[in-house]
Amino acid sequence: MKLLTRYNRVNLLTTIIVIVVAGIIYYQVIGLILINQLEKDLVVEENEILEYVSLNHQLPQVFKSNDQQITFTEAQPGTVRREFINTIYRNYDNHKYAKRHHRRDEDDEEFESGRGLITSVIVGDKHYKVLIVESTVEAEDLIKIIFGITAGVILLLFFTLFITNRLLLNRLWQPFYDLLRELRLFNVTDSKEIPLEKTNIDEFEELNQAIIGMATRVKHDYKELKTFTENASHELLTPIAVINSKLDTLIQTDSFSLQQSKLLSDLYSGVSKLTRLNQSLLLLVKIENRLLESNDHIDLKLHIEDLLMQFEEIFLDKEIKVSSDLDEKELFASTYLMDILLNNLLSNAIRHNCAGGEIKIKLTSESLVIQNTGTPEELKHNQIFTRFHKSTESEGSGLGLTISRQICENLKFTLTYSYDTPYHTFVVNF
Amino acid sequence: MKILIIEDEKGLRESIEEYFMEAGNICETASNFEDAMSKVSLYSYDCILLDITIPGGSGIDILKFLKKNNNTDGILIISAKNSLDDRLEGLDLGADDYLVKPFHLSELRARVTAIIRRKTFNGSNQLEYNEINIDLLAKAVKVNDQPVKLTRKEYALLLYFLANKGKVVSKNAIAEHLWGDGMDLANNFDFIYSHIKNLRKKLIEAGSTDYIQAAYGMGYKFTSP
Repeated sequence: MKLLTRYNRVNLLTTIIVIVVAGIIYYQVIGLILINQLEKDLVVEENEILEYVSLNHQLPQVFKSNDQQITFTEAQPGTVRREFINTIYRNYDNHKYAKRHHRRDEDDEEFESGRGLITSVIVGDKHYKVLIVESTVEAEDLIKIIFGITAGVILLLFFTLFITNRLLLNRLWQPFYDLLRELRLFNVTDSKEIPLEKTNIDEFEELNQAIIGMATRVKHDYKELKTFTENASHELLTPIAVINSKLDTLIQTDSFSLQQSKLLSDLYSGVSKLTRLNQSLLLLVKIENRLLESNDHIDLKLHIEDLLMQFEEIFLDKEIKVSSDLDEKELFASTYLMDILLNNLLSNAIRHNCAGGEIKIKLTSESLVIQNTGTPEELKHNQIFTRFHKSTESEGSGLGLTISRQICENLKFTLTYSYDTPYHTFVVNF
Repeated sequence: MKILIIEDEKGLRESIEEYFMEAGNICETASNFEDAMSKVSLYSYDCILLDITIPGGSGIDILKFLKKNNNTDGILIISAKNSLDDRLEGLDLGADDYLVKPFHLSELRARVTAIIRRKTFNGSNQLEYNEINIDLLAKAVKVNDQPVKLTRKEYALLLYFLANKGKVVSKNAIAEHLWGDGMDLANNFDFIYSHIKNLRKKLIEAGSTDYIQAAYGMGYKFTSP
């Protein structure tokens, strides 16, 4: 859930609750005030009646009034208690009602809720119960209006919040999303800084600064590490060269026993592995540092055909069946890197193949697909491109695919792996 | 042939010297810039093995000096710097070849031989060894004037052996020579065996002596029996 959505939800919910509560309180208070007003009217009427009675010693005539009804009924003395009641107001004068509903049946009797006052009056020696009723319809109308306004305010609130979120908040959060985008693009091997726009919001500015600081530190550490790798590999070259040359010299001397020659063979293979590992490390650093960039015109089809010819004997030796379907494809890239890439991919296809296996190569203008048989088991996608990851029986350096992927990255290609039984498939998309 | 080895690493320098030292060869060495400069300005060599990073200066400066003086010595750069720029700079400045450390002595020998051959036999591209005759331009091999049909790899192998005659050449060195750096296909060099077997067979069938001998299971030696 987005922070904004979450914030809005909470915000809206509390606002609505507050508005509803306010509406209820409003309703109650206005209701009370109106009732109070009505009661005052009723008391005024009562006083008028009492005054009339005390002056004229007879009951006043009852008029049909717009919103007041007075009824007199005889009652036993002492049975009438003065009180206000909620009652029903019989509206005989349907003028208003009919007008409101465009009806003309004026004889209809209409019931409305009303507020009444029961009181007593004594005329001569007769006790009368007086009921004065006033319609509360006006008050209810008012309450309806209040309800309508409240609902309207809630709707308006929804609307305004929606609009502000859309326009204002999105704009407010823009620096955050910019930052997020830059972070996603962040590449530790890239030398360029994270381009961040200045913002006036303190929090974002602080975040920007923190991230720039972090990126700089990370890049610095990474650079140090890379320099170290490069230097270490370089320093190793000379001793390896010495070992190599000494071995070459050693085998020129005297004759060796079977055991000695076995030892020498193992030494040779150890040294050659060390050499390749070292060269791979150096190469990787160089590719990452983009020291090997050039823009040569490459006829990929020709290149692959040459390479296949080079590996011919190995295919024969391992009894690997090679089939290729090559379209014309020309591109501009570093020949050196392209050679390494093709070499690595093809070497892998050979190395991890089984005896009597198969290699299929397909070149189109969009992609190069190299498929090979081998262990009938899918490789782990997330691991095969990492450094020094290799299968247990592999004799390689564990850097081949890392280098291949790095080259692809440099050349703006993509290198992907998939497994469709029985082929391990590597695809270079140009 | 007369060779100057400019290399500061003692172990490597001695190995190279020893490998090239044989009847008819003169090897001189220099371990620093001044030494090297005085030698190259005083004497002339068939081939100079030049390390780029030497104490007291840069091998590139020696190369520039040689070229400025129209020195015709063959120059082979041996460097730990395997960067394309260095390689190109070296070759642009007139070096004949560029070999990256670490290398096999047999490979170095083959390269040096090739350089000297190019320098010495200007125009003449015939290589002779007893009854074997090789036309380097046509890449054609004859034994007792009988043409022998060799594959590309077998031809390269024969040249490699001839450059390293009398030396034990390891299987690793052969594999790297024939298939280059990309040859990191495990330690199974069985397929080299079939190449050698074929080459031997073809030469013997054409009437040549059997020069190629297996050496203790770790390499081969091209030598007169």
